[in-house]
Amino acid sequence: MAEAVPVAAESFAGCRARAARTVLGQVVLPGDELLLPEQEDPEGPGGAGERPLRLNPGTRTRVRVVCGPGLRRCGNRLLVTKCGRLRHKESGSGGGVYWVDSQQKRYVPVKGDHVIGIVTAKSGDIFKVDVGGSEPASLSYLAFEGATKRNRPNVQVGDLIYGQFVVANKDMEPEMVCIDSCGRANGMGVIGQDGLLFKVTLGLIRKLLAPDCEIIQEVGKLYPLEIVFGMNGRIWVKAKTIQQTLILANILEACEHMTTDQRKQIFSRLAET
Amino acid sequence: MEWATQTDTKVRTETGTESGPRGPGCSLRHFACEQNLLSRPDGSASFLQGDTSVLAGVYGPAEVKVSKEIFNKATLEVILRPKIGLPGVAEKTRERLIRNTCEAVVLGALHPRTSITVVLQVVSDAGSLLACCLNATCMALVDAGVPMQALFCGVTCTLDSDGALVLDPTAKQEKEARAVLTFALDSVERKLLMSTTKGLYSNAEFHQCLAAAQAASQHVFRFYRESLQRRYSKS
Amino acid sequence: MKETPLSNCERRFLLRAIEEKKRLDGRQTYDYRNVKISFGTDYGCCIVELGKTRVLGQVSCELVSPKLNRATEGILFFNLELSQMAAPAFEPGRQSDLLVKLNRLLERCLRNSKCIDTESLCVVAGEKVWQIRVDLHLLNHDGNIIDAASIAAIVALCHFRRPDVSVQGDEVTLYTPEERDPVPLSIHHMPICVSFAFFQQGTYLLVDPNEREERVMDGLLVIAMNKHREICTIQSSGGIMLLKDQVLRCSKIAGVKVAEITELIQKALENDQKVRKEGGKFGFAESIANQRITAFKMEKAPIDTSDVEEKAEGIIAEAEPPAEVVSKPVLWTPGTAQIGEGIENSWGNLEDSEKEEEEGGDDEAIILDSIKMETGEVSDIGNQDAPIVLSDSEEEEMIILEPDKNPKKIRTQTVNTKQEKAPSKKPVKKRKKKRAAN
Repeated sequence: MAEAVPVAAESFAGCRARAARTVLGQVVLPGDELLLPEQEDPEGPGGAGERPLRLNPGTRTRVRVVCGPGLRRCGNRLLVTKCGRLRHKESGSGGGVYWVDSQQKRYVPVKGDHVIGIVTAKSGDIFKVDVGGSEPASLSYLAFEGATKRNRPNVQVGDLIYGQFVVANKDMEPEMVCIDSCGRANGMGVIGQDGLLFKVTLGLIRKLLAPDCEIIQEVGKLYPLEIVFGMNGRIWVKAKTIQQTLILANILEACEHMTTDQRKQIFSRLAET
Repeated sequence: MEWATQTDTKVRTETGTESGPRGPGCSLRHFACEQNLLSRPDGSASFLQGDTSVLAGVYGPAEVKVSKEIFNKATLEVILRPKIGLPGVAEKTRERLIRNTCEAVVLGALHPRTSITVVLQVVSDAGSLLACCLNATCMALVDAGVPMQALFCGVTCTLDSDGALVLDPTAKQEKEARAVLTFALDSVERKLLMSTTKGLYSNAEFHQCLAAAQAASQHVFRFYRESLQRRYSKS
Repeated sequence: MKETPLSNCERRFLLRAIEEKKRLDGRQTYDYRNVKISFGTDYGCCIVELGKTRVLGQVSCELVSPKLNRATEGILFFNLELSQMAAPAFEPGRQSDLLVKLNRLLERCLRNSKCIDTESLCVVAGEKVWQIRVDLHLLNHDGNIIDAASIAAIVALCHFRRPDVSVQGDEVTLYTPEERDPVPLSIHHMPICVSFAFFQQGTYLLVDPNEREERVMDGLLVIAMNKHREICTIQSSGGIMLLKDQVLRCSKIAGVKVAEITELIQKALENDQKVRKEGGKFGFAESIANQRITAFKMEKAPIDTSDVEEKAEGIIAEAEPPAEVVSKPVLWTPGTAQIGEGIENSWGNLEDSEKEEEEGGDDEAIILDSIKMETGEVSDIGNQDAPIVLSDSEEEEMIILEPDKNPKKIRTQTVNTKQEKAPSKKPVKKRKKKRAAN
């Protein structure tokens, strides 16, 4: 809360655009404008002279900046369109990716995302799969490992599918596959008939899927389990018994609202029992 | 029905928490907001201004009926539900005002052929209802993560027979007023997104009200920012 | 919108869990979810939360003439609405089977059980009686709507106060709350519904099913009962065969649950009454949990409006020049638009001149991006006054504007015709302004 006052005061002073670097990790709101690092440089008439001499000053090194979710380019600035914390990831060339980490529930398909879908219909050569987006995704029966025209995969309406988007944009029907580029399943396909499916927010899924996520390691120590995370906010989990599965599901759901300390306490208490 | 709503307001003014007259009228009542309080909608917010309270739920970008599909942008729908009885003309009017305001700030082109539905439920009306609806809508849209180019807020002000200006009026003040003006303002440049008025007033008075609403909007936007900062304080 | 389908694996897991006497939210078979009751500032207004299921109740009253066959009885009217807010699959304005079933059940539970003394609602026999209307709105659907709705209905009825009346000869006098304290309804007993879900042809039973459990259940038994253990109504649906023992056992459980809930309701009502009497704070603002990070409150905020007059004068002074060049009519072009086009005030031609001002302000704010507003808040505009997105040249972003224009065109035309009817100098002024903008 301490950051609240100065930020608000600044934005009302009329100087709306802030340097993106200074607000990293802070909460940004729709309508905020951000300046990219290159524009922070004193590029006025005096600024150029103070720069270190380059070999070929004519070609300025262009920085590639990627606008992630919640940000749009407008002119030479970034416009925030969603509420959340501003995040940044460096890339080699110095620009990197900026995005807004928001806690939203509704999924919008993105190419390359791995999701859990529910088969809602079989029509001819394709399955219709509900992924929680604005329209069902299509999934060809040939997009499974080892599937041929003769050898169709055994998929029923109501089954769970773990797959990847190959087509996902705002103007087209999203399309899923359950094979990678080499034709291998690579973990994708129909999910087993047992286990429990539940929904969490997209923010929590991203947190859980982060490479250095402690929650997953801690959960793994509790019970032996099988778990699948879909970027669309769905989690499928299966442990030895119903009881254990329920405990795991409830813990993961609760992670949304817990701080690290609270979580550690609960995990240690569970490990004792 | 007409009668019933009238008694309601009377009951309220007598028993309400509004403690005495509010200075020279230039203050906002206490504000409160709770986000994400409903589990089913994609975004929800309950907004309170004094004793006026509105609950908003947002679904979107979700599937759209073929008949309402727009090929290059999202279909924006606003449903306003009164507390007593069925929705009538007054609700339809407000729905449209709110929808038009949203349309100006929501980046619907990012989600073509989808629907963004805002459902508003009046929980209690103690004045400045439309402004409260607008504020609840904005907070619910933010909660749902619908892309917007700016935030917006609603501010109501009234002019009484002496020309005195009252911001965020109660139901009683609205009833006694000569003119009631409601403005929707955006957060980036405080520009006017929507205005609707009732009663007689002069050109100069209109601009006075607008300027007062802009001053009030700063407080509302600060309230937005602080409550959202609190909301994301654990992530 | 469609409901998210239930996958086979969820169905199987739920049924297996029920066989093992486990529930998703950790409850036992006979456990009820937490009930939370909060009151609004109006009499007869409450929100009941049953777990995540939420119902808003509001009671209102009206003097009407009674039904012919019941000249001395007041009228009770119940209306439950399934708002789309509660679940995406609920469509506005549609009388679904579920809605009809729920409304019917509520009527049987509350009206037919004679829990409200309708004769006390009579003012003049055969001429004037009170009609009590109970509006219930489902705000969030997480199963067991009927229990939450029946609690909300009875709580709202208990909380309600109707205005006092007196009859002198033929004259009926209605007293405002200031003149005489409003009077509560006379309520004989409080019927409350308790739902039981049956699975596997009645082998397994759960109290207070949540939404996912409702989706896999075979049958539902609803028992409405009051705290004296009198059954007010009973309904079994889903077509399962129940044994006598099962129904008896359910009614025993219902008795326990009803006693608990009644106690809770009475406590909540007493609490609210106490706070009102003592002049403390009440209403929904008080029921928002302060410790939640999703909730935030702000106290009264004073606003400095002392410079408003000068500001307005300044703006008007600046806006004057274009208004003076009145005599040059420009062809009416589309593109003048408005957002709050004032459907409400279109009937008042008297206010035309003021209306125009705001319309001017509107269209500038939204469409004419790069022009400084003549009418609006000039003082606030910094040097970056072009709304950002519009200035980008990407195709989709241009599109944002276009659909906006069409409806606006139509509306401007209606404004146009109106103005022709009531000739004033205003339209010209507006055109001028627009031209200056373009």
